[in-house]
Amino acid sequence: MKGSTEAPEIADRLATRAADRARPRTRLPAWVGRPGTRGWVWLLSVLCLGLTGVLFAVTGSAIAQTRDGLDVIGRDEGPKVVATADLYFALSDMDAQMANVLLMGSDHSLGDGRDAALVRYEQRRSDATDALLHAAQLAEGDATDEENVRAVIEDMSRYENLVAQARLLSDEAGLPAGSQPEEVVRLYRRAGELMRRDLLPKAYNLTLDSGATVRSTYQENSSAASVRMALVAGAATALLAALLALQYFLRTRFRRRYNIPLAAATAGVLVLGLGAIGMLEQQAVLLRTAKADGLDSVLALSRARAISTGMNADQSRWLMDPGRADIYEQNFLEDAQMVLFLVPDDDGVPGDLEEYTAEVAEAVPDHTAYPGRLLGLLGQEIHAGGVEGREQAQRRALRDYSAYLHADQRMRGRAEEEGAGAAIDARMAGEESVADHFDRYERSLVQLTALHTNTFETAVADARAGLRGWDAILPGACLGFAALVVLGVRPRLAEYR
Amino acid sequence: MGLRRLLTAAAAALVLAASGSCTEAVGRPASITDAERLRIGVKTDQPGLALRADDGTFAGFDVDVAHYIADELGVERAEVDFTGVSPQEREQVLVRGEVDLVLATYSITPLRKTVVAFGGPYYVAHQDILLRAGDTSVAGPADLEGKVLCQGADSDSADRIIGERGIAAESVERPTYGDCIDLLAAGEVDAVSTDDLVLAGYLDTAPSSFNLVNAAFTNEKYGVGIARQDVAGCEAVNRAITRMYQDGTAAWLLRKWFGDSGLDINTSVPQFEGCV
Repeated sequence: MKGSTEAPEIADRLATRAADRARPRTRLPAWVGRPGTRGWVWLLSVLCLGLTGVLFAVTGSAIAQTRDGLDVIGRDEGPKVVATADLYFALSDMDAQMANVLLMGSDHSLGDGRDAALVRYEQRRSDATDALLHAAQLAEGDATDEENVRAVIEDMSRYENLVAQARLLSDEAGLPAGSQPEEVVRLYRRAGELMRRDLLPKAYNLTLDSGATVRSTYQENSSAASVRMALVAGAATALLAALLALQYFLRTRFRRRYNIPLAAATAGVLVLGLGAIGMLEQQAVLLRTAKADGLDSVLALSRARAISTGMNADQSRWLMDPGRADIYEQNFLEDAQMVLFLVPDDDGVPGDLEEYTAEVAEAVPDHTAYPGRLLGLLGQEIHAGGVEGREQAQRRALRDYSAYLHADQRMRGRAEEEGAGAAIDARMAGEESVADHFDRYERSLVQLTALHTNTFETAVADARAGLRGWDAILPGACLGFAALVVLGVRPRLAEYR
Repeated sequence: MGLRRLLTAAAAALVLAASGSCTEAVGRPASITDAERLRIGVKTDQPGLALRADDGTFAGFDVDVAHYIADELGVERAEVDFTGVSPQEREQVLVRGEVDLVLATYSITPLRKTVVAFGGPYYVAHQDILLRAGDTSVAGPADLEGKVLCQGADSDSADRIIGERGIAAESVERPTYGDCIDLLAAGEVDAVSTDDLVLAGYLDTAPSSFNLVNAAFTNEKYGVGIARQDVAGCEAVNRAITRMYQDGTAAWLLRKWFGDSGLDINTSVPQFEGCV
């Protein structure tokens, strides 16, 4: 009985140890603690099934996010941004048409005629309202942008008020082209200044801002795309490793050369993984095309068209208001340089309109032979590559722009030599008139823009088509992998029953 | 056991793949939108726009606009460092990353846009003409025929009148416009022609000696120079300038610095240049 005093403690300790050993046994299968062959098969099979689930989830969410990104740029924001870009053009053209109406005075049949100009003015006003609606939708929730849209609406009604007064006075005076009463010129000068100093800058900034929205959406989407691709690659690699491990284990332990279902699953995962990554890569490429080659170019060319319309209005103002002709000519040149800025190889950038016109002629008909650089909204869109017919359209746009500038020089020349009447004739009437050349130039710009719009739409449609089918392929394939894994290990586990 | 090693390797590969895509170069943030400090290049010798005082502090319209933009970017006033930049080094300091922004009567031109990006313009200045007080013989550039003009070094303001407009005036060159203003006051030249804000700044130093013609004949778009790759930063600058005009700060600042000059000030937001 010597050790009897210690006996209860020893008994306690032994009991605790026994309990410790017993506890896991009651909760988990035996192979978890110290897995034997059967345990390893179970462990690896469960791992394969789990990783199949992970691959399914990761790839599925990558596809869903890719589709969201595509919808934002291809369906929601992108087209709206293009619509806001029309705002600047619509406002600018409203002003150009009104300048023509007032310039014609009572000579209603000059050029396309006063009625046509008024119809076009109304059309542009309704375009501007539509574009403002899109801009308002894009601006929603952003106080700064909303305020900007509101300011444009207010300025627009102030502008309309001023031109309505000018038109009324012009109608009452009933004077012929180019001889408007002082008061009409003064009112239109105020309207034109409001347009140029307040309205157009705000409208332009709105389109820039919506362009920025698309850019940041695209940026977020494309950096997320590389993360998504890496995740899919990681999940597929992990599953492949697990499948190979299982195959290897079965081979060494069961002395079977191949497990056909597992080999099939491995091959399937390899194909699916590569296919998914290829598809995501392709989506990124298509989205980049849609944005850089489509949307960006459409926006730049829309701005070029809008600014060109402002140049057209400045020609009418130049004729109507000789007191400020210098300013209108300067504005014309500055706008022209926004559209196309030429950097001759000797760096002697043309300083006046005449030199500029001559320099532009150098880049026509073959801009590739021009020994300098082409910059500006249109200039930067002139480059090789792209869809068939694009380079031809670029050449045509440059050629028509140059012809328009030449017609402008002729008009200014006639104003100097033969007076305002002859210049207005050169501006408005006949086949070689400024108006006619402008129409041609505008048409080529619109055609070039249409090619980029087409690139955008094709890329978005291709991307959408590329995603189609994956909704069925992915769950089908993953279920198949799981089934193959089960099929592969079931007979081996049965050997242990 | 080989199997365990295999699994470990697979797990390691997964971790590597995930972390590799997130790693970025350590150092200054890629965009000024993430900056906590801003280094801004301004002029040092332009009264009304940016003038360095003896204690090293800067004051002027450009400086106030810079503070407003910094504040909109979430950078505290104490965290804004101003550096004097000369007209010749404005591109270099941005390209080399020595400053984050440049507001230094920095006109946006298509050529400069190939090297740096521009937020804004925050104001469109115009070339104008400054005369001695009492001289009413000039109403526009055409009236400068036969007069003597002064232009600062590295400026082409007089050449633009003589060369581009074919006006037969005579031109004198001095190192800075400050020297030109002295010549004008002394009666050695008849007129100084450069950006209206620059002239208004000088006029403010001696309001009774000079007379601003208000004959705006070019557009000088004062932009906020920024590194070309920081498109998000450039867009943030544009939003800041938009707000500066919306909340009336721009109008207030323009009046504060140039209100007494008699200059025709435009308080409506300028047309931005675009960041890409």
